[in-house]
Amino acid sequence: MGLGSLASRVVKPSSRLLTSQNPRNLLHFRPIFSTTELHNADASAAAQPQADPAPPPPPPRTPLAGARVHFSSPEDAIEVFVDGYPVKVPKGMTVLQACEIAGVDIPRFCYHSRLSIAGNCRMCLVEVEKSPKPVASCAMPALPGMKIKTDTPLAKKAREGVMEFLLMNHPLDCPICDQGGECDLQDQSMAFGSDRGRFTDVKRSVVDKNLGPLVKTVMTRCIQCTRCVRFATEVAGVQDLGMLGRGSGEEIGTYVEKLMTSELSGNVIDICPVGALTSKPFAFKARNWELKGTETIDVTDAVGSNIRIDSRGPEVMRIVPRLNEDINEEWISDKTRFCYDGLKRQRLNDPMIRGADGRFKAVSWRDALALVAEAAHQVKPEEVVGIAGKLSDAESMIALKDLLNRLGSNNVWCEGNGPQPNADLRSGYIMNTGITGLEKADVFLLIGTQPRVEAAMINARIRKTVRATQAKVGYVGPPAELNYDHQHLGTGPQTLVDIVEGRHPFCSILKNAKNPAIIVGAGLFERKDKDAIFSVVENIAKQNNVVRPDWNGYNVLLLNASQAAALDLGLVPESVTSIESAKFVYLMGADDVELEKVPKDAFVVYQGHHGDRGVYRANVILPAAAFSEKEGTYENTEGCAQQTLPAVPTVGDARDDWKIIRALSEVAGLQLPYDSLGAIRSRIKTVAPNLLQVDEREAATFSASIKPESTQKMDMADFGSPIENFYMTDSITRASKIMAQCSALLSKK
Amino acid sequence: MASVVRGILKSIKDKGIGTFWRELKEEGYLKCLPDGNLLQTKIHNIGATLVGVDKFGNKYYQKVDEETQYGRHRWVEYAEKGRYNASQVPPEWHGWLHHITDHTGDELLMLKPSRYGIEHKENFSGEGEELIYHSKGHALNPGQRDWTRYQSWQPTKS
Amino acid sequence: MAFTVRGLKVPPNSASLEEARSRVFDFFRSACRSLPAIMDIYNLDDVATVSQLRSAIASEIRKNSHVTDPKVIDMLLFKGMEELGNITEHAKQRHHIIGQYVLGREGLVQDFGAKDQGRSNFLKNFYKSNYF
Repeated sequence: MGLGSLASRVVKPSSRLLTSQNPRNLLHFRPIFSTTELHNADASAAAQPQADPAPPPPPPRTPLAGARVHFSSPEDAIEVFVDGYPVKVPKGMTVLQACEIAGVDIPRFCYHSRLSIAGNCRMCLVEVEKSPKPVASCAMPALPGMKIKTDTPLAKKAREGVMEFLLMNHPLDCPICDQGGECDLQDQSMAFGSDRGRFTDVKRSVVDKNLGPLVKTVMTRCIQCTRCVRFATEVAGVQDLGMLGRGSGEEIGTYVEKLMTSELSGNVIDICPVGALTSKPFAFKARNWELKGTETIDVTDAVGSNIRIDSRGPEVMRIVPRLNEDINEEWISDKTRFCYDGLKRQRLNDPMIRGADGRFKAVSWRDALALVAEAAHQVKPEEVVGIAGKLSDAESMIALKDLLNRLGSNNVWCEGNGPQPNADLRSGYIMNTGITGLEKADVFLLIGTQPRVEAAMINARIRKTVRATQAKVGYVGPPAELNYDHQHLGTGPQTLVDIVEGRHPFCSILKNAKNPAIIVGAGLFERKDKDAIFSVVENIAKQNNVVRPDWNGYNVLLLNASQAAALDLGLVPESVTSIESAKFVYLMGADDVELEKVPKDAFVVYQGHHGDRGVYRANVILPAAAFSEKEGTYENTEGCAQQTLPAVPTVGDARDDWKIIRALSEVAGLQLPYDSLGAIRSRIKTVAPNLLQVDEREAATFSASIKPESTQKMDMADFGSPIENFYMTDSITRASKIMAQCSALLSKK
Repeated sequence: MASVVRGILKSIKDKGIGTFWRELKEEGYLKCLPDGNLLQTKIHNIGATLVGVDKFGNKYYQKVDEETQYGRHRWVEYAEKGRYNASQVPPEWHGWLHHITDHTGDELLMLKPSRYGIEHKENFSGEGEELIYHSKGHALNPGQRDWTRYQSWQPTKS
Repeated sequence: MAFTVRGLKVPPNSASLEEARSRVFDFFRSACRSLPAIMDIYNLDDVATVSQLRSAIASEIRKNSHVTDPKVIDMLLFKGMEELGNITEHAKQRHHIIGQYVLGREGLVQDFGAKDQGRSNFLKNFYKSNYF
């Protein structure tokens, strides 16, 4: 809520009282008044003659923050008047939402559009004609013909009263408060607060709670809006937070002494309107007005949450979510939010060559590239292998593929896609329903995937659907904690066979579903019998009408940010056993490949940004840029291409990934034909044009049904869990101290 | 004067000539002979009251009577007899010595918070680079601040 | 730095090339004599030796060896004296000296040139920095 808009709105009516001019002319400057006429607002309101026969119609205002109105049917629309301006809203909307559509920002603390309505802060009081008292607009449904007045002296006085009561027990510690500068209470007290307090007693104080390594609490600052309690129970699905006590003894707390064990707990920092819940790793590090925000994309999982990286100078100070209704709404997972300290640790900053004694020595780029080029030419083309990592962007992956093709090899793939990925049909590896589409599903069948640890934002979406429509969830896989009602159908492929043969009780639920959604985990890609499993899954889909012209419920939930783009670009190995016979291995940030399988005499190049598992086997290290330092395209699990933007400069002597490969190609005498990001993107356009449709979800054109039947024998071994530790999955999060703390304290024992 | 001589003879008798000679040397009486400043201080000290001794061993004297001129009634005898200078007085005694306050250094020390504050150091100008105080940003300060905002990976032999 | 300029007297022009030449040697000698003091005030002991600095001065002078006009030599000499005065008066800082005389004109890029013949601009830029 912009402070400027608030202040101008406060001043505007009083200026009309004083000057009785057209207020539109006064909007351009903000006169400063003493608060005398605010204090006796009733008197001044009475002084003004009520008979203002035909007030000039106020200017039409645009809805706030892109608020959209959706009318399911035209007779649902009702008309209300906000400050005399008629606005059409759907039935069932609250007064506050109607005001938002009319372009009036109502001050609020407890109301949050994604949470249930509490109505306990009373800040959103407005005057409604023929109502004896001001009404709390967030909890009052809009009725046809309602005349809402938001800037009358009565409403203003009511808000001032509420503000005075809120400030009564609020410590005046803004100078040492981390929320300072982005605090709703601070902003609104500039508009509705008095310049002096009348409270002379001792302020209330509350004991701070320990919510774990991520959320810092200063409970004395709490204004009991209960947003965090509602978030924890409704969105995060953990019953950890609650309201204890009554009256002045009322406080937020965990019922017993425990930590908050949700993977979304960081979001309570954002929704807290005051400084009661702040980020513990960010505490006292920076002020929000010192930070430069860069709107970019998260790469720690395959969801591609939209984030803003706040940086100061060369340092990433924090990561906060960005609103994107189609992907992450306005939440992000804790891994996304707090992995940033990994960007500052264990960084590779110089090209290094392993000497004869096994020690690494820092060298210049010239020497390092010359050595790599020489080694690449000394092996046979079919012994060259390239592996892209979890965090690689599309540009560098196409460059890597082009380089290896020029060397004569086609053994290039992306880790996590398994030995024989199916890149032919796009519908076979993306989430065909789309993330928003999951909300329409009424039965979920999760096969070999635990969305809570693999993609926390998808899990939040499933939980939202389950809460809203009582959708049924069936789960096949190792025992897992899902934070919504689900049936654990089984642990392995045998259950799938039971379902496909109609012996399982879940079959009837699946049969009767209108919009069934099957979600298959990408962890199955690594299994040897993956083709057999996927054909069984397809049979289930066929039997239950999962793929229809109007509904495609067949989904694959990917694990890593680079997977979808790699499959789109056709990074598929030529032979299954190529790594065992490799003599030249190019690891582009790949840390989770089985490096023991690489022959002892192979020459390994590691290009990456962190000194993680891959470097210890490497012969040459080429330092690259992390996702916060480069511009790159990533495709998320639903097939939506998005771009990161550089927020901070690269560390040391590191270079962008695609530039390293481009430079190496020239040193090796196989110059790649692109010199800029634009040129490399036009190369991508010839392979996968959908990667250039930024921020647009490109659905798969063909459905999966035309795939040939697999004749593979199914292995009856149970599904494993592909992610052992939610907090540490890639080189950035493994380098992070905060994530290490989290996994020590919060992971299930 | 006679009482002074008697006192000297008595202490020679008590301690023996060797100990007396050593103490004479330690107290700086021998240095008095070439150094008039010190000699004057020593003569001044006769009949004055010793108010306190600081942690460096400097002795603070005071004499309040008719013949001492007001404003010259407090002085210090430095522990360092050879290269004494005014910067050897620690801050807690500085105020007393310069008539800024009537609280002695020992009284002021009790008010000093123990959490912070660095030890007093005399001015070492000209005594060597390593002794001189260098501020935090100075090139010769041993505690140089690290301005790199990231920690690089250190290769270890694997 | 006005005081330095005031302190320097502009000598009368050299009459001949020989006189200018001898003035250059005088200047070189005086510069060499001030080198120990320069080493001391800028703490240069751990980065350079007196002989290195001496050869740096000599190479700065040799850079202008093609100049034959005595007037131009006088002008360059004046500039050199001004620079020397600035250095000995501590009007510069340590990193100025290191940058200009210890690392030299090429700076950190020592092996630039012959190897990169025939390379594309991309590669040349790549070796310099990530941002181009």
